[in-house]
Amino acid sequence: MGKAENVTGSPAAQHQLDLVPDALLAGRAADGDTAAFEALARRHGPLMRATARRLTGSQADADDVVQETLVQAWKQLDNLRDPAAVKGWLLRIVGSRSIDHLRRRRNHAGLDAVENQVEHDAKPQAADPEHSAVITSRVEALKAALAKLPEEQRRCWVLKEFNDQSYEEIALTLNISQASVRGRLARARITLARMMEEWR
Amino acid sequence: MNTPEDSLDCGHSLAELSTYLDTGEIADPAHLHSCPECQAGLASLRRLSQLGSELLTSDLADAGSGHDDWMQSILDNLRLELRPGRSIPLQAGNPKDTLWETEGSISALIRSVADALPGTAAGKCRLHGDVTTPGAGITVDVEIAVVYGHPLDERAEELRRELAQTLAFQTELNIETINITVRDVLEPPSAADQVPSPPTSPAPTTREDQP
Repeated sequence: MGKAENVTGSPAAQHQLDLVPDALLAGRAADGDTAAFEALARRHGPLMRATARRLTGSQADADDVVQETLVQAWKQLDNLRDPAAVKGWLLRIVGSRSIDHLRRRRNHAGLDAVENQVEHDAKPQAADPEHSAVITSRVEALKAALAKLPEEQRRCWVLKEFNDQSYEEIALTLNISQASVRGRLARARITLARMMEEWR
Repeated sequence: MNTPEDSLDCGHSLAELSTYLDTGEIADPAHLHSCPECQAGLASLRRLSQLGSELLTSDLADAGSGHDDWMQSILDNLRLELRPGRSIPLQAGNPKDTLWETEGSISALIRSVADALPGTAAGKCRLHGDVTTPGAGITVDVEIAVVYGHPLDERAEELRRELAQTLAFQTELNIETINITVRDVLEPPSAADQVPSPPTSPAPTTREDQP
């Protein structure tokens, strides 16, 4: 396991925090304990990063989103009513920041017309398996299929399947109605299911 | 919402099945259970959902651990503002000096005392009462978690004693009450981890910071 001496100056303390449940860490963090906050960030960072990566379509943007999320979370921790729900709360911030990020970049670049290309084709890199011509597994096929979905549908799908958000939470994050969430999620699934059946 | 491709021959739609997957609600549950079309549609959506979990697993693996460099560099950039809380006045040797300490530093002190006890970790802690007035009666509320197997009462009592001592020695607060709430019982660390129950040399892992 990675050593964390540089975080608190006390590896034993850091190690111990790794065993402490979310609610306690969130309470400590709200009291100003940066080590507890960092333990939360490390614990949920991978899911935050993976979610932001699928929502923004870019690893660099995903890391920006995680960073912005943590800054916002630190400022607003006092408002978190149920400390045990800190994971879902962080993920909802990730969702909103990801959407903001896309919106800002799009406004900046003026690329509304090509929304899907902006996200998934702007920076073709060999490192991105979605751009690879050879699709070797069902998971890779799903990545490619997701990349072809209309953006709004993909967002609904990611927030549901990656973060298990309710229709209500997704509606709040995306600023659309719950009926729209239900519809977009259904269309996303129908399209994806069909593409995956064809791939088989 | 129904499009021709999304309608099943039985008259129901995949969109209804999608909502059913999330909410368990559907207009005609009896039909759902007996209709092969609907069952096939549900199976297809469930396969997709399963594949979604596999994608998430794969993406999580790609994201790496929270102990990797990417997270460290994000944390290094954060520059979290401190939360000092209220200012607690201290007696000054020279009447011209004004001294105080922050509520945040008291919280940190309380946490360090709780964390130092075996099998105990601090959660939220609060100072109730007017800490800005010297001598005002203060109540301390501390939440802790205790590792399974440690006696809860003893740990709480030990912590109360240690806190009373430390706060009396290191602060000028007039502590009237110390309330300790055990919020959680923690899984004992796995055998490979530290904090073992049999006695070992003190702080076995803290020596590792010199390579």
